[in-house]
Amino acid sequence: MAKGRVSIVVERCKACGFCVEFCPTHVLALSSAFNSKGYHPPHVVHPDKCSGCDLCGMYCPDFAIYATKVTPAGGGDK
Amino acid sequence: MKADLQKADPRGVLTGVHFMDGDHACCEGALAAGSRFAAGYPITPSTEVVERFAQRVPTVGGTFIQMEDELAASITLQGAVWGGAKAFTVTSGPGFSLMMEHIGYAAMTETPCVFVDVQRGGPSTGLPTLPAQADMMQAKWGSHGDYEIIALCPNSPQECFDLTIKAFNLAEEYRVPVMFMMDEVVGHMTEKVVIPPADQIEVVPRKHTHKSVEDYLPYGTNGDLVPEMAHAGEGYNFHVTGLTHDERGYPNMTLPTQDKLVRRLQNKILQAVDRIAMFEEEQIEGADVVVVSYGITSRVAQRAIEAARKKGLRVGKLRLITAWPFPEKKIRELAAQVKAFVVPELNLGQMVREVERSAAGQAKTFAVSHAGGGVHNPEDILKVIVEASR
Repeated sequence: MAKGRVSIVVERCKACGFCVEFCPTHVLALSSAFNSKGYHPPHVVHPDKCSGCDLCGMYCPDFAIYATKVTPAGGGDK
Repeated sequence: MKADLQKADPRGVLTGVHFMDGDHACCEGALAAGSRFAAGYPITPSTEVVERFAQRVPTVGGTFIQMEDELAASITLQGAVWGGAKAFTVTSGPGFSLMMEHIGYAAMTETPCVFVDVQRGGPSTGLPTLPAQADMMQAKWGSHGDYEIIALCPNSPQECFDLTIKAFNLAEEYRVPVMFMMDEVVGHMTEKVVIPPADQIEVVPRKHTHKSVEDYLPYGTNGDLVPEMAHAGEGYNFHVTGLTHDERGYPNMTLPTQDKLVRRLQNKILQAVDRIAMFEEEQIEGADVVVVSYGITSRVAQRAIEAARKKGLRVGKLRLITAWPFPEKKIRELAAQVKAFVVPELNLGQMVREVERSAAGQAKTFAVSHAGGGVHNPEDILKVIVEASR
């Protein structure tokens, strides 16, 4: 059961890959989709592994990704 | 904890007898210590250090970047350190003020690096081409939060060379930013500088981890107070953050983590004061008055001390080579034996406060202040020595 959820602001991404590389639980991968600038933003490949630690958000140079904690009851973001 | 020593890389060592100023000697010290990266923003009276570095370092395989400002310089050098380089920046008072934020960052992330401050008259733009020693407290307290740094005070071009190597070595051994507190006179004074052969120069290498990626904890200390480093690009992926972090480097803003981290940052220096603190003593035995000085002022004070001895006064000299951590214990011991301390310095009273605090009322403390812009008249110091001897 995931404890967190990743949100991606696709249009801000420049596909540096920091979030993919540094995610401690390997939740992310770069997708094959394009944003309007022609970059491949990340997508969530293992949503169940996200702990909501937001390390991706701390690394992202462009504020294009962030993670939020999800309450166990499934009540949504804190 | 004893650092493994290596010999200097001969490519960076300009062995020989030279006639050079303190700024250039500092640059040669950095090269001899193995520094292959500097980022700086030019400012009088420190520019000559990086001017020479920019010219010399390409020949030994390194990089100098002139940055857009001091903030950029002071953080770029830390990027270089995490990339594996030994790095430094050079500035003077106004630039030093701008670098404070990143000195705190270096202390928190335990980034070994050297900040050279060739002190000039302040506050603000002050006296760009004239000396002062008024950044001494800033060197220790300039960034916010509790942290410890090391600060060294050379008093000659020769020491600018020798102690720059020492500064890099201390930075590596304790993983702290080291402040190299020169002053305009020492920086611009030209004297004989002897640079020994590379095999006579001892260099402390980076405390790099031997652990595997799986076992490595970026801020795990394993009983020691100084953690081992790993560099960017080696596969040890972790977060280098100024946020309070746990042993894994993860931000962890809890009370126990804060307490453990900040106390360790302090203790790694405070518990090693006796090993770090360097000073020069002269005729301390049986002295009534001890003159405590550092940097260029120690050389002016020398004349006053000798004049006082000719008058039959028993005057000892204690020259601080390490200003921070302050050799508190040494002053406390002396305070029990002498009548008074006389502390001349090119400011309106900074290190004198430390002397007075450490003396703890056991001996009187006299300041010989100077607003900066020149050096003391030895007569002024002599007068205070005479007064203190009464």
